[in-house]
Amino acid sequence: MKFKAFLTDNGVNLLEKRFVPSLDKIGRICHMYLTRDHVFLLHNLLNSDGIQSIAQFRKEALFEEYRISSQNDDCIAFTIDLGLLHRALRSSLSIAGGERRQIKLVKKLSAGCTNQPMPFLTFETKGYKSALIQDVPISKPLSRTDVLELQASLDTTQDLPQTLVQVPDLNQFQHQVDRLKHIGDLLDVSITQYGDLHLHVSTTLATVGTEFRKLRILGVQANIPDGSEGLSARTRTEQAIQRGEALSVQVSIKHFLKSLQCHLTKPNAAFYGIAPQGACLTAIFQFFIPGTQQTDRSISLHCRLPVLDTGSG
Amino acid sequence: MGFIQEYLFNNFEPSRTSVRIPVVTLIPLVAFGYTFLNSEDATSFLRKRIRARKKMSSSPFNNEALDLVCRLENVQGIVDALTSVKWKKLQDAVIELSEHGIVLIVEETGCLQAKVYLKRELFVSYEYTAEGRPRFGLSLGLFIDCLNMFSTAVEIRYPGSDMQLILKSVGSQYACAYAEIRTRIPETISWDCDFEPTGGVPVTFTIKSAGLKEAIDDLEWPGSSIQIILNPDPPTVTFRGDGHGDLQIDLPYFPNSDLFMAFQCRHPVSFRYKYKFLQATTANFPNNVIKDNRGSKLTIGRGGMLKVQHLVTVAKSGSHNEYRGYQQPGRIAYIEFYLKPEEEESIHDS
Repeated sequence: MKFKAFLTDNGVNLLEKRFVPSLDKIGRICHMYLTRDHVFLLHNLLNSDGIQSIAQFRKEALFEEYRISSQNDDCIAFTIDLGLLHRALRSSLSIAGGERRQIKLVKKLSAGCTNQPMPFLTFETKGYKSALIQDVPISKPLSRTDVLELQASLDTTQDLPQTLVQVPDLNQFQHQVDRLKHIGDLLDVSITQYGDLHLHVSTTLATVGTEFRKLRILGVQANIPDGSEGLSARTRTEQAIQRGEALSVQVSIKHFLKSLQCHLTKPNAAFYGIAPQGACLTAIFQFFIPGTQQTDRSISLHCRLPVLDTGSG
Repeated sequence: MGFIQEYLFNNFEPSRTSVRIPVVTLIPLVAFGYTFLNSEDATSFLRKRIRARKKMSSSPFNNEALDLVCRLENVQGIVDALTSVKWKKLQDAVIELSEHGIVLIVEETGCLQAKVYLKRELFVSYEYTAEGRPRFGLSLGLFIDCLNMFSTAVEIRYPGSDMQLILKSVGSQYACAYAEIRTRIPETISWDCDFEPTGGVPVTFTIKSAGLKEAIDDLEWPGSSIQIILNPDPPTVTFRGDGHGDLQIDLPYFPNSDLFMAFQCRHPVSFRYKYKFLQATTANFPNNVIKDNRGSKLTIGRGGMLKVQHLVTVAKSGSHNEYRGYQQPGRIAYIEFYLKPEEEESIHDS
């Protein structure tokens, strides 16, 4: 099992400034999954607890001279502490003239454990006057069975909701949801095929909600029914569900807020949708090729929020 | 793999329309305003009223069925005023509605009471149609949290079909926020603080709010019981704390001083107050109250009842109502605290 590559400037910036801090807020420990062509950072794919996040990079987006080999079809997966990874990336950026940043998988005898070599992801940065070697401890690489399970789980996460609506401004959206968390813990999320996103928290003391209308839609859409303009947000949503033109699910507001932490990755657009039968709430973040409005197909990030009550689903 | 990027690539078209996020507004509330002999009377009254509401209107937004419909341009000033009287996490409040505005009352064990006066002039519009002065109870923290949901203009209505207080954002067709807060009949008739001025010249002083807060915060160390002494000669206000230790803060009054704006006292007066109640009068000042640093007026009434009054600016966002330090009275929320003394040990209470 071997892995060695050189982080590009773009790659190290992408990870250090955007993805690792953002994913760290979803969960400190994640799976790093390396294949021949892609690198994944994955949360909660091997367990059904909590929010699942899937960050995927084409190897060229992060690395050059990417070399990987394993008996498991050249796939390697392990768990890593994102806090430590972030620290290593930050230190590596601090080396003046550090143009060559090598990253490789090694086994070493660590200071605390002298009997058995432990696996590390080692960062070697060479600058003009100094060199820095950092060992980030990782878990023992996953077994073939676990890697297959991880891949199978990853495949299922590629299912898309029929209707996705684009959230207008992630910062402001997060601000709004942040305030809802003071009211209650459970959030009802409804998405209509007319482009309406309705968030609703209800407790024994209060009912609070916020609705965004006429959002950009990807996928299945329907015309806004006549006579719905004067109705309240809740009535409109209920009617849309009855017509089969909307889905509603209940999720943890903490999970929803975690999904919004992905705005730290600086996406160019964010979409929310509900999977068929209300299986999960999906958030998809879109990145453009810098300076264009073309989707950057080398980077992808999406989250799947577990559903507590399938509601209309 | 890469299906999601492919999907976005194939389906995404650059900006077709500009989408705006919600703008919200906020404000007032309403209530019953009836006195009940017992809870059965209250329950019966409430049921009849709810039935009547439902009969009158199938929609909670039918204005004809409402006691109050008012609109706030910006909630921040009102949130600040309400936060000033929230001294514990779970705190119930009573709201009283009238044609003059809204009064929110909170109290603690019959020793401390606070009132926030939101005059009708604070609202962009204020339509009041109730008879009498309806009163209702609600959770103060929840009310503040709900108001905070609204980042711009808000319409407040009372009562909804189940006697709830309804807040709804106005002004944006692309986004809206709403809140329905369940109300209850106040469990107790709020303690009517029996504040009577001492005869003749009132015993009072007006001090910069930040200075008052600083003095009271400093008294946290001795804690327990705080003695407030006013002496006319030389004119001085003294705060004395003795608990874990002794601390005395003397604030001498000079005309045109930076700290005091007014001082009136003909005879020495001294009363003790519980520190935790005294602290509640300034502990939750929002930043802009300290920044504005308006005066806080303290008056000692008959029997040592202490009245602390603050002003909170409730300016329209983006408007400049101030002219050479003058703020339109309509843009001010009044806050009053009433504290009962620990014991009557007046030196001279005229």
